[in-house]
Amino acid sequence: MPDPPARDEDLVRRYLSGDRAAFAALVERHERRVYNLALRMTGREEDARDATQDAFLTVLRKLSSFRGEAAFTTWLHRVTVNACYDLLRKRQRAPLLERGEDDLPALEPPPAPDHADASSLSMDVQRALMQVPEDFRAVMILHDVHDLRQEEVAAIVGVPIGTVKSRLHRGRIALARAMGIEQQGRFSEDPEGPPAPGGSPGGAPGASRSGERADAAGPSEGTVSP
Amino acid sequence: MSHPEDLLADYVGGTLDERERAAVDAHLPGCARCSAEVRQAEAARAALSELEDVPVPFGVTGPVLAEAGRRFERRRGVAWGRFQWAAGLAAAAAFVLVVALNVGGEDAQNAAAPERTTAVAGGTGAAGAEAATPGVIPFAGLERQTDVNYDEAGIRAVASEAAGAVVAAEDAPGTQAAFASTVQDSKERTSLARECVDQSGVRGPDDVLIRLIEAQFEGTPAFIGVYSEGPGAGQTPDHIVVFVIAKDDCSILSTASQRIPSG
Repeated sequence: MPDPPARDEDLVRRYLSGDRAAFAALVERHERRVYNLALRMTGREEDARDATQDAFLTVLRKLSSFRGEAAFTTWLHRVTVNACYDLLRKRQRAPLLERGEDDLPALEPPPAPDHADASSLSMDVQRALMQVPEDFRAVMILHDVHDLRQEEVAAIVGVPIGTVKSRLHRGRIALARAMGIEQQGRFSEDPEGPPAPGGSPGGAPGASRSGERADAAGPSEGTVSP
Repeated sequence: MSHPEDLLADYVGGTLDERERAAVDAHLPGCARCSAEVRQAEAARAALSELEDVPVPFGVTGPVLAEAGRRFERRRGVAWGRFQWAAGLAAAAAFVLVVALNVGGEDAQNAAAPERTTAVAGGTGAAGAEAATPGVIPFAGLERQTDVNYDEAGIRAVASEAAGAVVAAEDAPGTQAAFASTVQDSKERTSLARECVDQSGVRGPDDVLIRLIEAQFEGTPAFIGVYSEGPGAGQTPDHIVVFVIAKDDCSILSTASQRIPSG
């Protein structure tokens, strides 16, 4: 019977004690996951390549201080999400320097994903995903696309689990709205009737509500307007 | 019942327990807002689950593996440097001797500077005892050079300078090396920096710290630890190793090594 594959933490130890191939094994094992997370976060192949490289270079640089307190994959996801945040911030800044003031739109249109082999459905979803604020997008991608447990997502993003649940729910609603999914109730005998356009209190998911947690207010603050 | 917002994510995900699920099921028909949210969240979740992984394009991780190789070679370079000492390279010895003579001359000039004596006293208590041993340079404390940006050549120069200083200390036990004149930091900060260097795992068990610099390395804030390595207790050190450690995470940025010429 073949040996079970080495644990990530064992590969880290082997690399630090002089086994050069162990780092290559770590990269090979995780590059697909890292790249796809970056692609969903940034929406562009070019940015996903950069974020993937940045993430693995950070891992390489910090490997000697990795003590295994968190699982390697948790740490790798965290590093990747942070690399994406950094890239997105750079990308937001860069065009402003190149453009004149006249043609500055009030709200940036989301960049179209440019990976050629994706279906049109996933391109639509990706385009809508780019309209969801980063913090909510990250939680949704980690949980709903990469199938990580809420506890893992909380550890990666560094927020309490209640915040993960809240971001997940608000993020999904923001995504549905960006995809143009109407907000009528599924029960036809609904006594309150359909919510008024623009969002009366308690109506539209995108309207701000006084009871909402501060950290969950992102998608409601006009970032994803109807 | 008020809106069960905190349950809706798990309701859509299908992970609520029976009692909670029943509570949401009872709430939804009478609440347009929550039923609309659930419907939207379900649609979004279904769309996300349709997203498929794409293969990683060719060449994405190549530069990472190349950098890993460079770092690996640098670390191995330290070990190779130790081997070179054993083999005894005459050319290196001749070069270092020139440096040693220069640094030795500066030492003699600086030996009388009063502020340096103060710095030594504030550094390590054992400095006086160590200074009496030929070839041992007492560690004086953290040198602040935060506006100085070192590169690889600069690090090699630090190694050569230290090798020269050790030779000078062999000739004149008890004198302080010239570079200690920049020491100006507190004991607390010095021990923080030492911890960072120790934490990086680069230091060998017999390495003796002779110099610690807070500066930049190729633009990254860094600690530069300069160690002498001896063949054994009580004998003159024969090798200098320099480790450059990133300040933010105590990881290794670079290394250099230099043989100390004997007698």
